[in-house]
Amino acid sequence: MECGNYSMKKRLSITQQEQVHVEQKVFEIFKILDGVSPHTQSLMLEIWRDKHIEFLTRGLRGLAPSYSVLDANRPWLCYWILHSLALLGVPIDSEFENNVVDFLGRCQDANGGYGGGPGQLPHLATTYAAVNSLITLGSQRALSSINRDKMHKFLVQRKDSSGAFRMHDAGEIDVRACYTAISVASVLNILDSELVQGLGNYIISCQTYEGGIAGEPGSEAHGGYTFCGLATMILINEAHRLDLPGLIDWVAFRQGVECGFQGRTNKLVDGCYSFWQGDVLALVQRLSSIVQEQLKLAHVREAQNPAKACYVETHNSTKGDSDPCGSSHQAGELSDIGQSFLEGQAEWGPLLNSIALQQYILLCSQINTTKHMSSSLGLGSFGIQPCSVGPT
Amino acid sequence: MHGRPRKPLKPEDSAASIAKANKLRTLQSQFYHIHHNKIYDKEALDMSAKLLEMNPEIYTAWNYRKLGVESNLQSLSDPDSIKSLLDEELRVVESALRQNYKSYGAWHHRKWVLSKGYSSIEREFRLLDQFLKADSRNFNGWNYLRFVAALQHVSEEEELKFTTDKINANFSNYSAWHNRSVLLSHLLNRKAQGFVPREKVLSEEYELVHQALFTDPDDQSGWFYHLWLLDQTVNQDTTLLISSWPVHAVEGVNSSTVTVTSMLEKNENLIWKPLSTNKSERSTEMINWKDENFVTSDALLQDFTPTLHRFNQLTINKDHESTNSKWHVETLENEIALFRELLSEVNCKIAKLTLARLLMSLDVIMSSRAICKQRTHTKEVLELFNDLIKMDPVHSRYYKDQHSLLLMEQVTSDEESLAKHFWYYKELTSSLSRTNFCLRINKLSLSRIGFLERLLWIQMLDLSHNELQSIEGLESLQLLIYLNLSHNRISCFTALEPLRLIKSLRSLDISYNEIGMHSIDTTS
Repeated sequence: MECGNYSMKKRLSITQQEQVHVEQKVFEIFKILDGVSPHTQSLMLEIWRDKHIEFLTRGLRGLAPSYSVLDANRPWLCYWILHSLALLGVPIDSEFENNVVDFLGRCQDANGGYGGGPGQLPHLATTYAAVNSLITLGSQRALSSINRDKMHKFLVQRKDSSGAFRMHDAGEIDVRACYTAISVASVLNILDSELVQGLGNYIISCQTYEGGIAGEPGSEAHGGYTFCGLATMILINEAHRLDLPGLIDWVAFRQGVECGFQGRTNKLVDGCYSFWQGDVLALVQRLSSIVQEQLKLAHVREAQNPAKACYVETHNSTKGDSDPCGSSHQAGELSDIGQSFLEGQAEWGPLLNSIALQQYILLCSQINTTKHMSSSLGLGSFGIQPCSVGPT
Repeated sequence: MHGRPRKPLKPEDSAASIAKANKLRTLQSQFYHIHHNKIYDKEALDMSAKLLEMNPEIYTAWNYRKLGVESNLQSLSDPDSIKSLLDEELRVVESALRQNYKSYGAWHHRKWVLSKGYSSIEREFRLLDQFLKADSRNFNGWNYLRFVAALQHVSEEEELKFTTDKINANFSNYSAWHNRSVLLSHLLNRKAQGFVPREKVLSEEYELVHQALFTDPDDQSGWFYHLWLLDQTVNQDTTLLISSWPVHAVEGVNSSTVTVTSMLEKNENLIWKPLSTNKSERSTEMINWKDENFVTSDALLQDFTPTLHRFNQLTINKDHESTNSKWHVETLENEIALFRELLSEVNCKIAKLTLARLLMSLDVIMSSRAICKQRTHTKEVLELFNDLIKMDPVHSRYYKDQHSLLLMEQVTSDEESLAKHFWYYKELTSSLSRTNFCLRINKLSLSRIGFLERLLWIQMLDLSHNELQSIEGLESLQLLIYLNLSHNRISCFTALEPLRLIKSLRSLDISYNEIGMHSIDTTS
């Protein structure tokens, strides 16, 4: 093995070329920021509230033909738009509200759950989107339109013997399905031990040696699934069963020189991961006592394991009872976990470089010409990034 | 679509887009009709195929096709017609995937078809080869590959060869490396033929990854695989030194109240060794922390030494050393030499961080085996972290913390280095009690503290003039009476939480910090 090889002209792989290309574009933009006066800098680093509001409200009325690929995902469009408007502090008028409630009502299946559009099979992701849209609206009418009994039956039917959930009848099983199911159950106060059974074991089997969580066992750690996995474990009070130091390590290092986050190792930065990865770190802020316990034992093992904190199984006696295979929980108790988690104190400050992330989002994701946010620099998406706004 | 370049729409594209949307709308309403009426004849199925080829995300249509297949299979009995029925499904999936190669519904449908057991697996491998060439990171494709290999009972050895080919074609192919790690884990764990001894296999893998690292040091793929290799190199058989408490001072800590849980299979053999301390006398509460009040003296130190019983005086008995520990150390030393070489040619962040971690772990192993008491590489590691702080400002806080921890390790490593920080506080009263021995760790730019288990006997501690934002871990100093945290960077009262648990604390100085200086963090 000669290291002389390296002194020969370095041929970049495609991955490398793309990375260099994106870095150059990002650094050009940051250079501009550096070169202007503080006053101009502060103008550059603003969120274009009005433009986004205009874009979103237009979208609520109607979307261009290119959005037809999202036809099986229409509740998502409702959610992204409504949630973004809510974050921007914009009230929704009652006409819009009625339209949304009506529309989602037609997406609701007679046997529970919501599909991608009227007449479509109920699907966990669109269910998540629909329920959260209605909650964002928050009116009596919106909330009472959700059939909770049928929803519970629908969720039970999606449960798989592995402990995980299927996205829809005869659909795929992965960590997204777990999160959407549990999140909906928790917020609708219908979470019970039947739904929770074996779930922790499945998600743990999806945490990889890298520290992050994969979509299914054997796959690579991925930002979206890491969020879904961690959030689910928190909601069922089993977060302590994950290797949290390893998870934090992986996520934190996904924030690169571009200041935004990448979704997986050696992939390009992308605005959407501001949410998936960023929010993992926001959640972890409230798990500090568990993490510290795990670290104490990991410290000793560091001699054995050079590059990462060890995987430790700890007994959690601080956050109440956790009984992974338990069957004695009442429905109410389990649904309360999420609420009390959020009400708890964040004991740590941000674990990401928050300022850098905001800089990336405002300067690289926010695009002037089409007046909305792009998911990655120069690379397009349908443009709505409500989630990027959230954690920062 | 996510991750695809957005180009401005030309007028002809715009018209085409509208036309496509109209077509889709028509197809959809036709589809709902056949679906809700359970019509599964050829015309209906063809129409659903057209729909899916235009928009593979319509999962309801995939379900419809499954129902259609089940229904039509009932009237078929000979394998050939069954096979051709299922082949049609595969054809539809393939067209759909060309439209969107990331479609969950399409890949899942393919798995469903394959599970029936009538389809050619060879063809699946060829198809995957194409898709993974087009996008080597397509995790849906990789998941499918694992699924098919399992179906075929393809040996893991063959699959491994597949990853080797992919890696040789492109070192950046992280998904290939990742799959490799999954396969090798299994092969090593079940001691498959050709994969024993473990050390030989791992050594070969190290060589493979070195090629990648030297070709492209800035490429993350190789480094992550390297991390996995280090993980595998880990020796899980050595004795572990867990912790120590001054048994008389901290109440209630003994073998019946404390349980140690660990992942190791052998969980027994927990040995408790009592430490002795003498009760201290309480003296005055006010401490004047100025420099002139502190003196140092060797003679005084010797007086106190008998009560010091430090963590690393416990070393592992040679009998308990396990057999492959020598290979472990050699491998680490090899890696270290290699990375030093790499860094002499190129300035690479991941390389520096890895080298730092390797040096630290080598030091820990060497000192725990009493091969040499002092950590020999501390200076080099500290320099590496200083470089990293400059190279990678996004993670500078992490590097600073690591740097601080290492400094603390150095300070607390043995009597000699502690002696340099050990001062005697001159009191106005005449009594010479042990309370007046103070550990002063100042002006080291410490951003965090660590290795406190070595300092459990401390009663007076001066951490002023550092950069501490957090004092996590300080609560383990259950004998602490006097504490100086002035001239640090503590920014909120919550950071002082650990102090609540130190019941013996009587005097605290937190002047010249940053409490209240920063506006409230709205994310907390």
